[in-house]
Amino acid sequence: MKSPAKTPQRPTFLLVLGKSSRSFLAMTPLLLGVMGLVGLFQVLVTPEMLASLFQDNPLLDTLIGTLSGAISAGNPIVSYLIGGELVEQGISLYAVSAFILSWVTLGLIQLPAEIEVFGGRFTLYRNILSLVFTMLIAGATTLTLQLLT
Amino acid sequence: MKKPEKPFAFRGKYLFLTVLLFYAVLFLINSPSALLALQKSWNVLTKILPILAIVIFVTALINYFLQPKKIAKHLGQDSGINGWLWALAAGVISHGPMYAWYSLLEDLRSHGMKDELVVVFFASRAIKVPLLPVMVDYFGLLFTILLSFYMLFGALLQGLCMKLLQVKKD
Repeated sequence: MKSPAKTPQRPTFLLVLGKSSRSFLAMTPLLLGVMGLVGLFQVLVTPEMLASLFQDNPLLDTLIGTLSGAISAGNPIVSYLIGGELVEQGISLYAVSAFILSWVTLGLIQLPAEIEVFGGRFTLYRNILSLVFTMLIAGATTLTLQLLT
Repeated sequence: MKKPEKPFAFRGKYLFLTVLLFYAVLFLINSPSALLALQKSWNVLTKILPILAIVIFVTALINYFLQPKKIAKHLGQDSGINGWLWALAAGVISHGPMYAWYSLLEDLRSHGMKDELVVVFFASRAIKVPLLPVMVDYFGLLFTILLSFYMLFGALLQGLCMKLLQVKKD
């Protein structure tokens, strides 16, 4: 009688879950380091400090908005609150759009972790692209809004 | 041949030690600020824990149900337009901070996910669906629609630029 062909044993879901947990556990110092930095930045960089950076020049303010969003950290809802305050203080929408966008897509404090996981070249390309597109999107959004209203 | 399993090793030890050093210095200079920073970090950790649990579970589900070949088919070299749309949609619906997703993306990348799709995923994360009503409240409906549209379009363009950069590199 012909013996049945041997098929590779499929690992159980628990085994796969254990493997995923293990690879996550290995990342614990990396994640704790980033979270520690988030706490430090939330205390040391205040909204007033950010507001004082803007110069009343749309192009320069867009760049400042992008960079200040990139160094800030925390829940995106905080960026809306600060953005709302900045608009009330007369800061241009170019700057505020760039600020709330770069808050989520760029992250200075998570750069070491991103380099560790994805490599230096990928991180460099991604962050440069994100920086350029944040400014472009902020510009396009504000210009279109001005055209439509 | 089966790939040998990587030995377990903690990652980011030096980053963690550097941050500890920052805290130690801040405690010496200004202990109330250091305590407040520590409290804020703790708040971030407690908020992010459920998200991390979901990410671990999703990683396990993907690894259990999708073989590397299938992942490569959906997100790899031959994934076509569908791969771009998957990355875009996954970025929009993904929750929590960017670094919570590093582990899953690293795993998918090792199974063949293209770098340009990782870029699309990260860029499209700028749209936070649960927070859209808050954005409308602060900046208006038209602003929210325009920004969301340009963010989606920009995410795809960033992926395309990454692809061109990769081609140039090769």
